[in-house]
Amino acid sequence: MTIIQEKTLSARTRPDFPILNQTIHGQPLVYLDNAATSQKPIAVLEALRQYYEHDNANVHRGVHTLSSRATDAYEGARDQVAAFVKAASRQEIVFTRNASEAINLVAYSWALSTLKPGDEIVLSVMEHHSNLVPWQMMAQRTGAVLQHVELTETEEFDFEQFKSLLSEKTKLVAVVHVSNTLGCINPVKEICVEAHKVGARVLIDACQSVPHMAIDVQELDCDWLVASGHKMCAPTGIGFLYGKLDLLRSQPPFMGGGEMIADVFLDHSTYADLPHKFEAGTPAIGEAIALGAAVEYLSKIGMDQIHAYEEDLTRYLFRQLATIPELRIYGPKPNADGSGRAALASFTAGGVHPHDLSTILDQAGVAIRAGHHCTQPLHRYLKAQSTARASLYFYNTREEIDVFVAALKDAIEFFGGLFG
Amino acid sequence: MTTGNLRDLYQQVILERYKKPKFRGVTAPVHRHQRGHNPSCGDTIELTVQLDGTGDRIEEVRFEGEGCAIAMASADLMAEAMRGKTTAEALDMVQRFQTMMQGKAEFSTEHRKLNVMQGVSQFPVRIKCATLTWHTLKAALEASTQPTEFVSNE
Ligand SMILES: Cc1ncc(COP(=O)(O)O)c(C=O)c1O
Repeated sequence: MTIIQEKTLSARTRPDFPILNQTIHGQPLVYLDNAATSQKPIAVLEALRQYYEHDNANVHRGVHTLSSRATDAYEGARDQVAAFVKAASRQEIVFTRNASEAINLVAYSWALSTLKPGDEIVLSVMEHHSNLVPWQMMAQRTGAVLQHVELTETEEFDFEQFKSLLSEKTKLVAVVHVSNTLGCINPVKEICVEAHKVGARVLIDACQSVPHMAIDVQELDCDWLVASGHKMCAPTGIGFLYGKLDLLRSQPPFMGGGEMIADVFLDHSTYADLPHKFEAGTPAIGEAIALGAAVEYLSKIGMDQIHAYEEDLTRYLFRQLATIPELRIYGPKPNADGSGRAALASFTAGGVHPHDLSTILDQAGVAIRAGHHCTQPLHRYLKAQSTARASLYFYNTREEIDVFVAALKDAIEFFGGLFG
Repeated sequence: MTTGNLRDLYQQVILERYKKPKFRGVTAPVHRHQRGHNPSCGDTIELTVQLDGTGDRIEEVRFEGEGCAIAMASADLMAEAMRGKTTAEALDMVQRFQTMMQGKAEFSTEHRKLNVMQGVSQFPVRIKCATLTWHTLKAALEASTQPTEFVSNE
C-alpha cells in the first residue's frame, strides 16, 4: 500500500517541476540537496509571471487599479501563510527576506531592547549559523550570556540537560525544530512549556520543518517562529517571521523607512500598526505572492501526506544506506516505519572526503551537499571536519535513492583499496 | 560512471599522494609558519617552511591539515616542488599554478609532476581546493618571521 502511495505522490508532482527533467553530465538529474533549497513548481513560476505580466505596482501606495491589485495579492499571501502555520491573526506574519533576516529582526528589535548583563540565552550546539551568530552579536552588545544544549548518545537534543540550564535568568531559548545536519526532530512543544515556566521567550527555527510537516504555532505555543520560502517551493528573497501579537506589538521597529510609518515629521515619526511596522521599504512583492502560491500548492497536496511520503522515503533511504559498511551516518536512526527523523542523511564515507564524494556523484547526475552545512560548531562537536548530505523532498523517488546509493558505492570503490 | 573527466581529475598520482603523502609534518626548525582555511568547506592547512642560512632559499616545506584528495595532493606535490627554490622562484611558481588552474599554463619539464593537477581546471568549484596550499605558501613567504593570521582563499 505504501508503495502505491509513494508512486502516486512523486509521480503526480514531478511534472510540476520542469527543472528535474534534465541530464547532468549525460545522466538524469537526481536532486538531493533540498535542505539547501527546494525546486519550484510551475504554479509558483506562474504566480510570479502573472504578477509581473498583469499586476505589477507598488503596494500600499496608490489608489490606481494595479496598485490595489498588487496590494491585494501581497496581503493575500500573508493570509495564506498565516493559515498555513495556523497563526491566530494575519498581523502575526511579517515578511522578511529569509529566515536569517527574521532572526535578526527579533535580535535587534526585541533582544537589544530587553536583555541585560547576566541574562541567559539558551541555544543548542546543532544550530545553523543563522541562529548562532545574531545571538553572539547580541550577547556582545547586551552582556547576556550564551548557553548551549548538547547532544544525547543518539545525537539528539538533550532535553534533560536543557531543563537543567533553565532558570529565572533565562530570557530566551532559540532552537532549531528539525536539524538541517542531524535530521533530528526536536521536542519544541515541550521546550516551549519548560521555557515558559521560567518566563523565557522561545524562538523556533522552523526552516527544515515548515516545508515538510504541518505546523501549528498556536499548538506549539512558541513566541516566534521563522522560515525561508526558498526551502518550501517558493523563490529566494522571501521568508517570514511569526510572532505572538502582543509581543510583536511591544517590540520596537527593526529598520526604518517607508511602509513602516504612520506619521512622519522631520524630527520624529509614529509607526504603522502590525505587521507593517516591521516591513520597511518596498517589500519583495512578487516573491511574497509566489510564496502564497507555494503554500497553496503544498496545502493542496496536504502536509500530512507529504510528511507520510517522506517517512516512507526515509525508511527506504536508511535501509539502502545500511548496505554500505563504510558509512558513518550522523543523527538518530529512523523508527521502523521511517518516522522520527527528517528525510535527510549526513554522513562520512571512510577516508573519502565529502568534497571528493560530491564531485564524483555529480558526474553521475546526483546533487548532494558537501561541507559543514552552516553548522560548523556542530561539526566540531561531532569531530567531523565536514560531511556529505543527501536531503529529500516529496518529488524524490525510490529509484533516485537507488541511483544515489549505487553512485555512492562506485565512488567509494573508485577511491577504494586506498584505505583498505 | 567514472568518466574521462573524473580520471583526469583524480589521476593515480593524486590518489597516491592523498593516501601516502611524502611531506606531511612540521619542518625542524620552523622559519615560516602559516595556516590557511577554506571557509566554504572547512578545509584547513598548516604549512611550515625551513629556509637556508641566507633566509632566501627554501630547504623544506611540510604540511598538516585536513582536506579532500585534491587539496592534500596539491599540498604534497607543492612541498616536493619547492625544495631548493628561492623565494622569488617559489612566488613565480605560485603564480604559474594559479594560471594553470585557469587552464592557461602548465609547468615545464622540471616541474611536470605538478601538471597532474591540470584536470582540476575542468572542475571550477574544486579550484579552491587545489589552490589553498599555494595561497598559504605565498602568505608564508611574504610574511615576516612571525606567523600571521589565517589566510583564507575566499
Ligand atoms: C535549520 C536552518 N536554519 C536557518 C537556515 C537559514 O536560512 P536562510 O539562509 O534562507 O536565511 C537554514 C538554511 O540554510 C537552515 O537549514
